[in-house]
Amino acid sequence: MSIPILSILVFLPLAGCLLLLPAWNCRRLARPIALVVALTELTLALWLYASWKGLAVNPFPQGFLLLEDAPWIPAFGIRYTLALDGISLLMIMLTAIVFCVGLAVSWDSIKERTSLFLSMMLVMEAGIMGVFLALDLALFYLFWEMMLIPMFFLIGIWGHGRRLYSTLKFFLFTMSGSLLMLLAIIALHLLYAQQTGVSSFQLQELLKVQLPLETQLWLYAAFFLAFAIKFPLFPLHTWLPDAHTDAPTAGSVILAGLLLKTGSYALIRFGYPLFPQAAQMMTPLFYSLALIGIFYASLVAFAQQDMKRLIAYSSIGHMGYVAIGIAAWQPVALSGAIIQMANHGVTTAALFCMVGMLDERAHTREIAAFGGLWGKLPLWSFFFLLFAVTAMGVPGLNNFVGEFLILAGTIKSSPLVAVLAFCGIVFPLIYMVRLVQEVVFQKERQPLSLNDLNPREIGILAILALLDIWMGIHPAPLLEMLHVPVQLLTGGTP
Amino acid sequence: MTAEQLLAIMPLLILAGGSVLLLLTGAVRPGGYLYGIAAACAAAALIWSIAMPADAVMPGLAITSFSRFFSVFLYGTGLVALLLAWEYNCRRGITGEEFPATLLFALTGMGAACAANNLVMLFIGLESFTFAFYIMVAIERRSEHGGEAGLKYLLNGTLSAALLSMGIALIYCSRGTLRLAELVAMQVIDPLFIAGSCLVLLGLAFKLSLVPAHLWTPDVYQGAPAPVTALLSTASKAASLAALLLFIPLVESWRGIHDIFWMLALLSFVSGNLAALLQRSIKRMLAWSSIAQMGYVALSLVAAPSGGRPAAVFYAVMYAAAGLATFGAVSLLSGDHDRDELEQYRGLGYRNPAAGAALAVALFSLAGIPPTAGFMAKFAIFAAALRSGETSLAIMAILTALVAVFFYLRVVVTLYMKSPEGQPDHAPPLSVAGMTALAIPTLTTLFLGIYPQPLLELLKRILP
Repeated sequence: MSIPILSILVFLPLAGCLLLLPAWNCRRLARPIALVVALTELTLALWLYASWKGLAVNPFPQGFLLLEDAPWIPAFGIRYTLALDGISLLMIMLTAIVFCVGLAVSWDSIKERTSLFLSMMLVMEAGIMGVFLALDLALFYLFWEMMLIPMFFLIGIWGHGRRLYSTLKFFLFTMSGSLLMLLAIIALHLLYAQQTGVSSFQLQELLKVQLPLETQLWLYAAFFLAFAIKFPLFPLHTWLPDAHTDAPTAGSVILAGLLLKTGSYALIRFGYPLFPQAAQMMTPLFYSLALIGIFYASLVAFAQQDMKRLIAYSSIGHMGYVAIGIAAWQPVALSGAIIQMANHGVTTAALFCMVGMLDERAHTREIAAFGGLWGKLPLWSFFFLLFAVTAMGVPGLNNFVGEFLILAGTIKSSPLVAVLAFCGIVFPLIYMVRLVQEVVFQKERQPLSLNDLNPREIGILAILALLDIWMGIHPAPLLEMLHVPVQLLTGGTP
Repeated sequence: MTAEQLLAIMPLLILAGGSVLLLLTGAVRPGGYLYGIAAACAAAALIWSIAMPADAVMPGLAITSFSRFFSVFLYGTGLVALLLAWEYNCRRGITGEEFPATLLFALTGMGAACAANNLVMLFIGLESFTFAFYIMVAIERRSEHGGEAGLKYLLNGTLSAALLSMGIALIYCSRGTLRLAELVAMQVIDPLFIAGSCLVLLGLAFKLSLVPAHLWTPDVYQGAPAPVTALLSTASKAASLAALLLFIPLVESWRGIHDIFWMLALLSFVSGNLAALLQRSIKRMLAWSSIAQMGYVALSLVAAPSGGRPAAVFYAVMYAAAGLATFGAVSLLSGDHDRDELEQYRGLGYRNPAAGAALAVALFSLAGIPPTAGFMAKFAIFAAALRSGETSLAIMAILTALVAVFFYLRVVVTLYMKSPEGQPDHAPPLSVAGMTALAIPTLTTLFLGIYPQPLLELLKRILP
């Protein structure tokens, strides 16, 4: 294929930043420009989705649908390698959707320094696209860190509450993991160079390296730490509630919808394939951290007074299921985990949007301040109920599909974990029912004069709701897309 | 002297001649235009070094690709510092000829130091630019800190000069020659030679402000005018690094050199980063951070046998770009008094977007975050360190780098995330010279962060 469509996906948002420059002081002009860029990204992603079967006829090695490769820094052996398979395609679509949602939801709420905000959003979109597409470890690392800077500014400039504390905490937590991963990446590269005499950071090459178990464990530990912080796994999750709560709505949407997924994606793409034995050995630890996370985060979520914080903690719990699906490393559970990443991305993005909308109206997110919204904000309440029910994992909606596949896949290899995780499913039910009951149904506690959703907000939520329902009722096309890469990853034949 | 030799040392002649010319014209008619002449001389020397790739050997000096690379690098740094000083000094009434003339003289010394082929010339080069800095650090007579800084730098610098000359004398006693090429050939280790080498290394450690020879740094950086600090923290260190790279081959066969650099590196990046964490003054913070950054350079010199030298020089180039941009932004944002307290930078990123952005990019580069040159530089030194098996040192370096991220980001937080309440003074608008002086290092930082290949290739070629 002659058009470097993957490079366009990565660099179009950066070009969009340049487009914003002439309209820097004109908010009316800047917002449509950014949205058009994000919509173009979405169109490209959907076009790739529409044509993936055609691309799969002549796949590149290792089942990649598209591959772009060029030398970049030969002095270090770093290449510019982007590749697309079913997993990254799903993540790309999620990224494109979540960014459109993020831009749309902050359309009116960001009144100060709008152009800077929009350019930060676009830079972050480029970084996240890069993370999901890069196949060269050094390039991957570059994007991995690049996406931190815009998020740092998003929380710090447009956030609320203790935003400075939260943004520094977020940055330092993620940096601490990734710096050690950088050392591990370099070490892996040197070991490969020692064994073959060629210097490369490409995943396909590095997979060939022979590692003694001890080395593998050390390197895997460094990778795992970086990914576990992003995931986030207990006890490395403490940055998440602060960052999510204090970020502006668009920031929370992107944090929960996408940034957490980069950790799980990278574990699937790099962690397990590069260090299979070490990953196998660490599975019990991974399982137990995931289970503790599910129980602990759900209990903490139950005690929250702030709606945004509650949803932030629920994210930790939901990502625990993704962790279990990955830890099982078995086709069904892994497909479930990947689907669940997309499900959680959509659902949590929607919940954060809704809390943001309520916050804009009532200027508070305290659960205790609300009550009886069903009568006053019927549309808002309808959507909130829908997304809350989705988060509980009710059949027919998308979270159920992911959780079901994860548990079905896990129960064969580790029945105990599956049973415990199954018990954990009850928790979202409890805290979400409490949330809905207190906010939507109970008697009104404070007289608040609120307007219901406007057409823009209805549009955003309707699209997300349709996605939830579609992925819940008919996940087959997505699972089909994941089938080949998942089989290849878990060592089966496609 | 043949015509070829003359052509090869022409940049040095331009600079020295320009310095004398400035002193003469300045005596007749002082004024801001002298900075323009000085900038033109530095630019001429820079262009000559790039355009006339002529190797030549003469008594004391050897113009090689190594020296030409460093000349270009140092003259470029000097040019940016001149542009920074132009506006800053005119604002403060330092319009005499002494500043630009001294700066050109410093550049001459640096050019000589990195082209030296015997130890005496190395010493003369190093001391002549240090001498120029004694003047420039204390040039602002009204400043209450300037005199103190000047005296501190003078006392420490004299000590380092004494150590250097004593070391060179001991080496001469042991070997009977001062020519670098002959000294490299004699790799016999004897106590006298080791003692001399250690003294020379200690003297150079002073100039690079490596721990434990670093104590002058924070006071001098804080007290000196900001453009001088910009030059002192970048060009002076780069020239000293060039001298160090010329000297290291002499002692390479001695195992102790590895341990010395190991300790210097560890002490520098640990104490530099930890002390920077505690600073409230931005110049002191940058001073301690520069100590830490030099620790990373020393780390790559520990790994010199396995490709650490190109990494060290790449790191120095990155640091020079970042140092010029940070101290440059400080000098351009300062009015009659240097804007030194961190709190004075609240919300400045919006009131002065160009300077704020340059400062932020430079700080991200110092913190080693992509897509800036700092990331590539850290990548290069960690790769070199791991390749030579220094895993524990590399891990400690990366953990202290994490500490560094915090205090660099704290400045970015102040710039962009704190409201500028209670900050009545408006930052002066930037002049063309000031904009250029900020744009050059900032664009270099971004370019090297995205496409470092040409520089890496060049460094591999010129460094053994």
